Amino acid sequence: MTSDSFLDVAGAEKSFGGVTVLGGVDLEVAAGEFISLLGPSGCGKTTLLRIVAGLLAADRGTIRLDGEEIGARPPHRRDVGVVFQNYALFPHLTVAENIAFGLKARKHPAGEIGPTVRRFLSLVRLTDFADRSVRALSGGQQQRVAVARALAVKPKLLLLDEPFSALDRKLRENMQIELRRLLRELGITAVFVTHDQDEALTMSDRIAVMNRGAIEQLAEPATIYRSPATAFVLEFVGLSSRLNGTVVGQDHDHVIVDTAFGPLRAAGSFVTGAPVVLAVRPERIKVNTGGDYALVARLRDAVFQGSKVQLHFEAKDGDHLMVETADLSDGLPPPGTEMRLSWAVADTLIYPAS
Amino acid sequence: MTTKGAASPWRDPVALLAVPAVLYLLVVYAFPLLWLFMKSLTGPTGLTVQPYVSFLSDPFNWRIVGNTLRVAGWVTLVCFLIGYPAAFALARAGALLQIVMLVSIILPLSIGAVVKAFAWQIVLRRDGVVAQLLVGVGIWDEPQRLLFTETGLVLGAANIFLPFMILPIYSVVKLINPRLSEAGATLGATPLYRFTHVTLPLTLPGVVSGVAFVFSMSVSMFVIPSLLIGDRFQTLSTLMGRSFLLMRNEQLGSTTAVILLVLAVSIVVGSTWLARRLGGSAT
Repeated sequence: MTSDSFLDVAGAEKSFGGVTVLGGVDLEVAAGEFISLLGPSGCGKTTLLRIVAGLLAADRGTIRLDGEEIGARPPHRRDVGVVFQNYALFPHLTVAENIAFGLKARKHPAGEIGPTVRRFLSLVRLTDFADRSVRALSGGQQQRVAVARALAVKPKLLLLDEPFSALDRKLRENMQIELRRLLRELGITAVFVTHDQDEALTMSDRIAVMNRGAIEQLAEPATIYRSPATAFVLEFVGLSSRLNGTVVGQDHDHVIVDTAFGPLRAAGSFVTGAPVVLAVRPERIKVNTGGDYALVARLRDAVFQGSKVQLHFEAKDGDHLMVETADLSDGLPPPGTEMRLSWAVADTLIYPAS
Repeated sequence: MTTKGAASPWRDPVALLAVPAVLYLLVVYAFPLLWLFMKSLTGPTGLTVQPYVSFLSDPFNWRIVGNTLRVAGWVTLVCFLIGYPAAFALARAGALLQIVMLVSIILPLSIGAVVKAFAWQIVLRRDGVVAQLLVGVGIWDEPQRLLFTETGLVLGAANIFLPFMILPIYSVVKLINPRLSEAGATLGATPLYRFTHVTLPLTLPGVVSGVAFVFSMSVSMFVIPSLLIGDRFQTLSTLMGRSFLLMRNEQLGSTTAVILLVLAVSIVVGSTWLARRLGGSAT
């Protein structure tokens, strides 16, 4: 148990009716850090969040926050704020009353509550809406009320359970930037649950990718994207070209893998004959450049996406070959075009086939 | 959102759906009520308020009013204290259990109040179940008769009217997002604070209708007090019944009826108004 971590979850286990939802999760978060729990639905990320908040009791494990063991405390004595997925605003109260709720419940002096509420109203730019009913607000405004309400009591830790999932894309991107700025200004430590990889990549200091009740990788966004620790992380975060193959030889610290497109090299150490998956991020692949190329493939489809073009190539079942390029000088090539694809050996990722 | 609200009810065809109900109530309820009201104001020499003056100046009648309101108040309170938690248990129960519980609440409504009151006569006797239980537990030293006491009447009436408290509260509780209480907890609110500041205000509309149902039914009950407490104990309803059926005094009967109606309506409307004020905009 390291002493410098602000939140320290150790060996958290939870099962519902014999089904293990969380299988001994460890998570350490530094003060002021913004961590995302990223994973598909049912991976246990929300369960972990509810355990930290005290809304669910873990079967086993300890939770330390700011040096204190809080695992046995009820939620109202944990100092852990939560922004719920559908905000859970109090429908019978106004915007200002919602934000004041926690302060009143904690018996803050009345003279302090007014200024604090006004400060948070202005922080989330809802000053003009103070006396409105929360039911009269748009989704984005409700979300801001939920954030202000949770932060007004100055929690040690803020947990956010997919707070942007109900917002449309444009609004969501604005709110992400705004929330990040707000949390940085206030120096709040936050754990953020999401199934949206873009959200996790743009907002987090570090990302914990979760799968089947366990954390597969906990690292900075760039590391998660560039060097996924497992094939699951590779598939869940970002796009990739993937080729199945068999290891046919070892060359110093590289292996030679036989694929449907011929032999390819990758850094790693596998026994000869081992089935593996080779992967390359699509923007690391270059098309029709000079020099040594890795393979020739036939174009199946070209998809125009504004700032970039996605090229999908014919590949056998289970393989997936795609390239993203910003170079549109020649226009979209017609399907059937044969193209040379090349990439650096260092960009080749390799995983044991599952 | 202004376009729809400005439409006249006469041009909105949905309003026509209320016509059968309005006609029915006019014929069987409003006209007889008006007739009753006129009857109470008609003396041998024409229009008079004499029946009201003499009714209200008789202290015996004030005791009857007191009896009526006290019993109705107790019945409503007992129903609320039992029904409120029961409504939560019902709303938060699993699907199958919820159906079983709903059936066991609604099915007894198909048995008439007379039958249930007779059953309570047996239960409340000196050798009845309640007395035996209280002696067995050690609260009473020897069995006592609850039948023909006010306590017995309140117990029996509360049982009979309980579904009318549980069901409206249940229907409101079902609509409350359970996350709201959790949100209160993460903001630092104790369970008691969450109840008084989140749960109770949000369930108030259900409580108001439950109280209105039970109070108006127990303030006007006639058969149940006749069977459970007898003629010694007069309420406005039993007085009204005796005036019409035994004494053939239609004027006293209709005067009592109007006074009962005014009391019941003003208490129900007044408490609703008070609850809404206390609970803010809880609807």
